[in-house]
This record gives sequence, structure tokens and C-alpha cells, in this order.
Amino acid sequence: MSSSRVLSVIVPVRDGNATLARTLTAILASELPRDDYELIVVDDVSSDSSPELAARYADTVVRLTARKSGAAYARNRGAELARGEFLAFVDADAMVRPHTLPRMLGILSDHPVLDAVSASHDQTAGANNIVSQYWNLLLHFGEQRHAGTSGNVASPCAMIRRHVFLSAGMYDEWRFETARLEGIEFAQRLEDAGRTVLSSKDLAITGLKRWNLRSLSREVWDRSALLARSLGYQRTRVAVPSDVVFTLSRALAPAMAVLFFLAISAAFVPTPSASIKAAIVLMGAVALNFPAYLSFARARGILFAIAVAPLHMLMQAVNGLGLCAGWVLRDAVGDREPDAATQAYAEVGVEIWPPVPRASGR
Amino acid sequence: MVPVGTEANSNSDRAAQAHEFADAMVMEKPEDRGTLGPIFDRAKNRAEPRRTPRVSLIVVLPENHVVSPDRLAEGLRAHGNQDVDVVVACAGQPTNLSALQRSVGDAQFLLAPAGTSTEDLRELAMRQVPGDIVTLLSGALLPAIVAESPLVMTS
Repeated sequence: MSSSRVLSVIVPVRDGNATLARTLTAILASELPRDDYELIVVDDVSSDSSPELAARYADTVVRLTARKSGAAYARNRGAELARGEFLAFVDADAMVRPHTLPRMLGILSDHPVLDAVSASHDQTAGANNIVSQYWNLLLHFGEQRHAGTSGNVASPCAMIRRHVFLSAGMYDEWRFETARLEGIEFAQRLEDAGRTVLSSKDLAITGLKRWNLRSLSREVWDRSALLARSLGYQRTRVAVPSDVVFTLSRALAPAMAVLFFLAISAAFVPTPSASIKAAIVLMGAVALNFPAYLSFARARGILFAIAVAPLHMLMQAVNGLGLCAGWVLRDAVGDREPDAATQAYAEVGVEIWPPVPRASGR
Repeated sequence: MVPVGTEANSNSDRAAQAHEFADAMVMEKPEDRGTLGPIFDRAKNRAEPRRTPRVSLIVVLPENHVVSPDRLAEGLRAHGNQDVDVVVACAGQPTNLSALQRSVGDAQFLLAPAGTSTEDLRELAMRQVPGDIVTLLSGALLPAIVAESPLVMTS
């Protein structure tokens, strides 16, 4: 173990038996001298044998106890132990290529103006079922469209200068216990502070997680609900300070979702023209998502694009409902916060292990 | 003896292997060698509330591997003034322990059957140690650093 390691690779994991070994093996196969980096795995109260599995590969394993606190919290605990000049965060269900980490390191080393760089999903998926294939392609499509100077400095793989990460306050572990949005919020915070984040189209990883309809619906629900309740709300407030426009913009997402469901419902009213109505609504839905379907067709063929169309529409419906739920929760309950006991511990400043989540991003 | 360290070792049979290994290995302190001393109870205490994390250092020594004093000292130094539970996981019977006892007096030894792979030693040791933060330090193959007066090695 050398104290002069350049890079610390941090992998948060919870119940990762299915993919963790492949993730860690891929990291160790990176085209980097082994002495140049340390591998830290932070286990977020797994119920399986993830810590023991991690020990087969890692230099350091952190076992969190008591309560599940999320990937943002786990990454922060890993960063606190890290000694590298650069921190790389790799999801426990992501497989880097041998050149991914070296290239990220090279980009940050060669461009002092850059503070962080993030990779994106490639078109392949570790699992071959249609739901996993669809979700990886959709992530790939979205990440490619938004590649450039904004990114997700967390999932699936990102690298950042350590001093920048610490000075920016690390991930917001207070609000982002679920859903993988902490990296987006953190990237936005970095940019607000004048830092530069590069989201690269060329740096790709493979998503290994096997999704099914239930787990994917849950993921989409969590993301959209948190987006509307917390992250999207904050973004909107910053972007649209005018009260009138702000109010309208707050109503836009649920209004669109309601309109969508009304349109779908209308298509199934039993009238002689029901099939025509349904066809019109479906064509409208396809037209709205044409770039995504085109991307699916290019990657997997037209039959795949047709096959996943119902799934895509279902996920959009879940997304719409999640957004509505998020907005309602925002108005009824407020921003996402930890439970009362955690807040009380944080307020009193009790020093315990594992530490009480901190509202670092606020 | 259980064959280990092969490609055939899958996640599914790893647990079964670990149980078989558990029967074949003992935990002992240098000063009372011969006395079985599993530390499962200490591992169970991990969930108790504490102010600071418990730190463990696992030194992994497959057959014909050694760890130099400098590396061990560096591993301990990385945790500052914190108390560190040191566990030396060996494949086969360790020799030349006196130097290690001098350096880390209360180190515990996990003795696995000869031939146990590095990865299996790491996993087995991880099951035993109580630390919230566990650092794993791998030894080097004997010929590579034989000139560095090895602190501990396995025969």
C-alpha cells in the first residue's frame, strides 16, 4: 500500500453479489499500474455477502451498519478515507473498460481547467433480457444527447479531483438516499461554483444490472418523484425566479402527465372510432419519442424498437405519475429529508459511527 | 482440503467453501498458540453504537509470500493513532513470527490449509475481523523481496 497513489477508486455497494465481482475484476483489469490506485468498496448494509466478496479484490472495505443510507452517503465515506489525488466513483453494477479509468485520469491530468469527467453507458447490457437492454439503451440515448459540459458526477462512472470534491461539500447525502440523482445535483453545484465538468461521449461503461419490470418501474418512480420533489424544484427555482412563471412551470409537469392520461383514456372510449383515436394517440406518443425509437432501431433493429414501444410508454406513464407524486409531496410535506431521529442526531451533533448524514449540498 | 482459487469457483458455491474452510482453520494469538480463539463474538459487536469506527488490518499471506516490515508499518500508519486489529491470514503454517510479534504484539493469526488462494484468504479473513474499516494488505511472492529480510512468511 503506497501513500503516494494517484487515484482512489470508490465503489458503493448494497446487495451486489450478482454484479460486484465483474465490476471489481474490470477495475483491476484497467490499464493502470496497480500501485497507482487504491480500490475502496463501501458496503451500505448489505444483506448478502457483498463485503466478503469485495474483500477478494479491494484494498479497503468499509462496512456501514445500522441503517441503509444510500450511494451518496457511501461514496462520501469512501472519499473520506481516500488518499488519491483523484477520486473515481464506479457503480457496483457498472463494468469499466480497460482504458476507461486511464483515459479519465489522462483527461484530468492534461487539462487542469477540467475538474471532473463522467462516463456514459454504452449500447450493450450485461443482462440480455429485453427490459435491461431497453433501459441501458435509454440511458445511453439520454447521456449521449446531453453529453458536453454537464454531467452526472457519480453514476455510472465519474472522476473528480479530490480537493474539488471535498471543497464542494461532497454529495448531498441528506436528500439523496434513494434514486441515482446525487451526481446530477453535484454536477450542478460544481458548475454553480465555476467548476468545469465534462460529460464524455467517448468514455463508456457497460451496465450489468439485470432489470425486470418491477425493479425498473421502481427506479423510474424514485427518480421522477425525487426529481420533482427536490432536484427539479431547486433547478426550477433557480432558473425561473419570476413568481408567475415559476408557478406555471411547477404546474407544467403534472399538467402534461394528466393530459397524457386523459388522451390515453379517451382512446379507449368504446365508440366506432376508438381504434382510430387509439392510433392517433399512439402515433402522437411515438412521434414525441421518435428520436428515442430511432436510436433503439439503429442499435438493435426495427423489431426491437417496436417490441420495446409498450415498455417505453409504460415507463413514461410511471415517470408522469412519479413527477405528479413528487410535486404533491413537495407541496404537502416539503423537500426530501431524513427521518426525525437522524435530523435530531444531526442537530445535536452527536459523534457516532457511522456518522449521521450531513446536508452538505445545501 | 478444498480446492480453491480456480475459475470454477462461482459465487454460488463460495459460501459452501467458506463453511468447509471454517472447519479447517483456527484463529490464534501468537502468545497462546494452540488455543482456539474464534472471534465471531467480536464481529457481532460491530453493530453496537460507537463514536469512532473500528479498524482492522488483514495481512494476506498465501504460500511462499512475505510481507516486509515497511509495508506493514505503512498499513498501520495509514490509520493514525487509531487502535487497529491486526489479523494475519496465512495459507499453511507460518514461520519466523518473532519479528511480527515484536512489531504487532496482539496480532491474531488465521491459519487456512496450505494451498488456499489469496482471494479465499481475503474472504475468509473478512468474515472474521470485527472492523468497520478493513484494510487488506497482500504479501509479495517470496523470491521477489527475499533480500528484504521478510517479517513473516509461510512455508
